[in-house]
Amino acid sequence: MYTRKKNIFVRMSENVNVQKALGVILPVLLGIVIFVLWQTQVIHKIFHVDVFTLPLPTRIVSIMIDNISDILINTKATVFAAAIGLLIGSVIGYVIAWVADRWKGFGSGGLIIVTAFNAIPIVALAPVMTNWTRDVSPDASVRSMVSKILVVMIVSIASMSINAYRGLTELKPYAMDMMTSYAAKRREVFWKLQFPNSVPYIFTALRVSAPNSVISAIVAEYFAEYIIGVGRQIRENIVLAQYSTAWAYILTACIIGIVFYVVLMIVEAIILKHRK
Amino acid sequence: MMRKKWKKTIAVISTVSMAAMLFAGCGSSGNKDMGSGDQTGADLTSTSMTNEEIIKKAASEGKIGNWGLGNEYEVEALLEKYGLPTDYLSQSYDMDSFDNDSITLASAMTFNELGLVKNDYEGAYGYGDTVGTIDMNEEGVAMLEDNLFCTREFAEQNPNTVKNFVYASIKGWEYACEHPDEAAEIVYKYGSSVSSEHQAYMAEEVAKLVTTDMDGNPVTDIGKMDDDAMEQTLDLAKQYVTLDDAAAAKKLKDTTLDSFRDTSYYDAAVASTDGKDLGTPEKTDVSIQLKWLPQAQFMGYYVALDKGYYKDAGLNVEIVPGGGDISETTAVNNGTVDFGVTWVTNLVSANAGGMDLLEVAQIYQRSGLDLVYKYSNFLE
Repeated sequence: MYTRKKNIFVRMSENVNVQKALGVILPVLLGIVIFVLWQTQVIHKIFHVDVFTLPLPTRIVSIMIDNISDILINTKATVFAAAIGLLIGSVIGYVIAWVADRWKGFGSGGLIIVTAFNAIPIVALAPVMTNWTRDVSPDASVRSMVSKILVVMIVSIASMSINAYRGLTELKPYAMDMMTSYAAKRREVFWKLQFPNSVPYIFTALRVSAPNSVISAIVAEYFAEYIIGVGRQIRENIVLAQYSTAWAYILTACIIGIVFYVVLMIVEAIILKHRK
Repeated sequence: MMRKKWKKTIAVISTVSMAAMLFAGCGSSGNKDMGSGDQTGADLTSTSMTNEEIIKKAASEGKIGNWGLGNEYEVEALLEKYGLPTDYLSQSYDMDSFDNDSITLASAMTFNELGLVKNDYEGAYGYGDTVGTIDMNEEGVAMLEDNLFCTREFAEQNPNTVKNFVYASIKGWEYACEHPDEAAEIVYKYGSSVSSEHQAYMAEEVAKLVTTDMDGNPVTDIGKMDDDAMEQTLDLAKQYVTLDDAAAAKKLKDTTLDSFRDTSYYDAAVASTDGKDLGTPEKTDVSIQLKWLPQAQFMGYYVALDKGYYKDAGLNVEIVPGGGDISETTAVNNGTVDFGVTWVTNLVSANAGGMDLLEVAQIYQRSGLDLVYKYSNFLE
């Protein structure tokens, strides 16, 4: 029987290698197109903005190169606040989830409260934390860092506790019954069944809270006493109408967010490699 | 059954206490510490320390505050004058950090924060004469603040509008400075961000800034652009405004007085006897962007509007309040509004960044920035 040969495009689109390559090529192409439209000021014409408020990419990058040491100092402060806050917040979030699972009656209410805390806007949270931490240290750089970390921490707790709670409770059918039939101790149930089950959920939580932690740190910097950080620089430069420099820091903030996400993806790939 | 009930009770109590703790944090940003001037040493009304000693002590403790965001250059110049590093703490817009001593030498505008610190009306801290001040004008590091500006393009296309607007605004300022109490009431009527008592205090203090120069001499020509004061402001700006953008930094260094101000509109307005010889405005519906919320800081414009001075000049004026991080230079530059009020430094920095803004009148003739301290914190 004669089967009609599929045309080249169909065959290509079905090829796994081509699909993989396209996954990389298409986003890069889109990036290049946006870059060209931006640099040639087509975007400016479409959105009716001037080169002043939306500077050209070449100019932004040249400012970044000129000020790389300043940018690194500010980046370090922002990354430190975001990373430490994310780490502490996630650990606390996991502990809350564990408590909520261990003492069920106590827990479900607690989770709702944690979610409610998450609904407090960062702009409201940041000044409160600055006020709270004013006795932490006579050194303003230390107490400002503590207040920024606290803000990031609170934001990170909620997504972790809710996801981890699901990871601890949504087990394979009868898994818990089997553990009971083995007369497993509570500790064994946790380490052998619940914890491994919750690992993918941990990463789900981190995927949300990692970029969030960068944003929280940046907003918290607006209100901190000690003047440092990518967020503070964005604000200072916009108020002084230095849009090119502000954009250099906005781009820096984007890069930090992307790096956080990529690092997370790599860690996830390594840890979950032998799963499935 | 009983155990479950107990658990629930414990859960409720603990969550409520957690929430209460958080709100306690919020609460201390209010007026919790009002009247803490009653603490030890509050009856002190002087110190034997000199300004230099006070500044050095506060600097060594790292407790000098300023809002930053373009307000910090006078403080930096002052610190450098005394050979100190130019670091300062970021101060929020209330004076709580001064009240609780996390900042002992705080920035305060004479017409605003200083009143909140000293006076004892609602929302103020009531320190009275237990606080001292360091005046930027006396220290020789004063920079000019509130001016009146538009874009160069707007001024060139609408010269009569600008002349008439300057004429009517100055008339408003003259009236306001002569009758600050009435001016305060007018501002309050147009939507005030502060209490009427504070508004009255502010009007009194603003009148002083408009009618006194940096050396303390009376100013008769309200709104004039004094070369010496502007040069001093520009020199300090060139020294302390750091722009990371190399092109902007170079442009700032090359700035001269004539590159950002034009006295011709002001001269014409002052030369006019009744404002009728300034020509018909090309654009009659104009707006002015304030640098901050509606308050007596901008009373001249509100008086000109309320008394019909703008109307007499053939202008239909809308006053647009600012607040927070509103960038008045950007608003004027992109044509959202026609005129704006900003500080000379902000205007010069914006021009360095690529705008082409033009100052057409200088309303404030001296710096309104003080550093305020409690005498009790500076005993020898």
